[in-house]
Amino acid sequence: MVNSISKSQPQSDLPGDFAIWIFIFAELLVFGIFFIAYAFARSYDVELFNASQSTLTREFGAINTIVLITSSFFVVRAVAAIKNDSSQICVNWLGAALFMGAIFLVIKMIEFYGKFSEGINMSTNTFYMFYLSLTFFHFMHVILGMVILTAILFKARQGGYSAKDHTGVETGASYWHMVDLVWIILFPLIYIIR
Amino acid sequence: MSQIRPCTYVWFILILLTVFAFVVGKLELGGITIIATILLSTLIKGQMVADYFMGLHRVRWKWKIIMYSWLLLVIGLIGFAYSLGLK
Repeated sequence: MVNSISKSQPQSDLPGDFAIWIFIFAELLVFGIFFIAYAFARSYDVELFNASQSTLTREFGAINTIVLITSSFFVVRAVAAIKNDSSQICVNWLGAALFMGAIFLVIKMIEFYGKFSEGINMSTNTFYMFYLSLTFFHFMHVILGMVILTAILFKARQGGYSAKDHTGVETGASYWHMVDLVWIILFPLIYIIR
Repeated sequence: MSQIRPCTYVWFILILLTVFAFVVGKLELGGITIIATILLSTLIKGQMVADYFMGLHRVRWKWKIIMYSWLLLVIGLIGFAYSLGLK
């Protein structure tokens, strides 16, 4: 079964510009070390981590996961549209993805504001040190991803991409999916498993 | 009539797995079985995003192996660290 699938689909190199993949793998390495450090730090004080985790609003985490997954899906549709030479449809999907990204940022800012209002900061305890630094680090990546997608949207609107030349769209899309992938691990790690 | 794209099915499965994780979190369930189940569902989600959203299912194995190794190593070590916390 696997062989028949791989034979029917030609194997190729990574989508988009190769340089972005060096960046993506480096980012994944950094986030991976952060995640593992969190998990091992927790094993030294499980009760503190569980008690602090219970103060988080899981609804915010879950909604933001759905928002980012949906945003990533919209970017997949944008890439499919430009491969079909449909610039306007590509622009529409990118706009929708950016809108979802903005929702993510707003929800995250509400969450940060709530915690800071309660007097919680990175010095409160080890859990909050990890929670605030990890989610803020990811927050900054969402902003960078949105800047990249916005630049691609403007170029696509000016007809800068086509079915033959869409490397730029794939490059931005790959970065955005990386941001989504990191959150997919961050969500259960920080908000769910105990 | 338009056909439903494979990426739409992937999106739907990712949403379902997220809702499942949320429900587990809401019930504040713990224990090795729950941790293993959530981490397995996270591994599946990560693999689906890598393969179908990033498009890695079409690329050469030398590239796929980097992403799969990262997912397995990170999620595996998280599982190991959590198992230490259970003792």
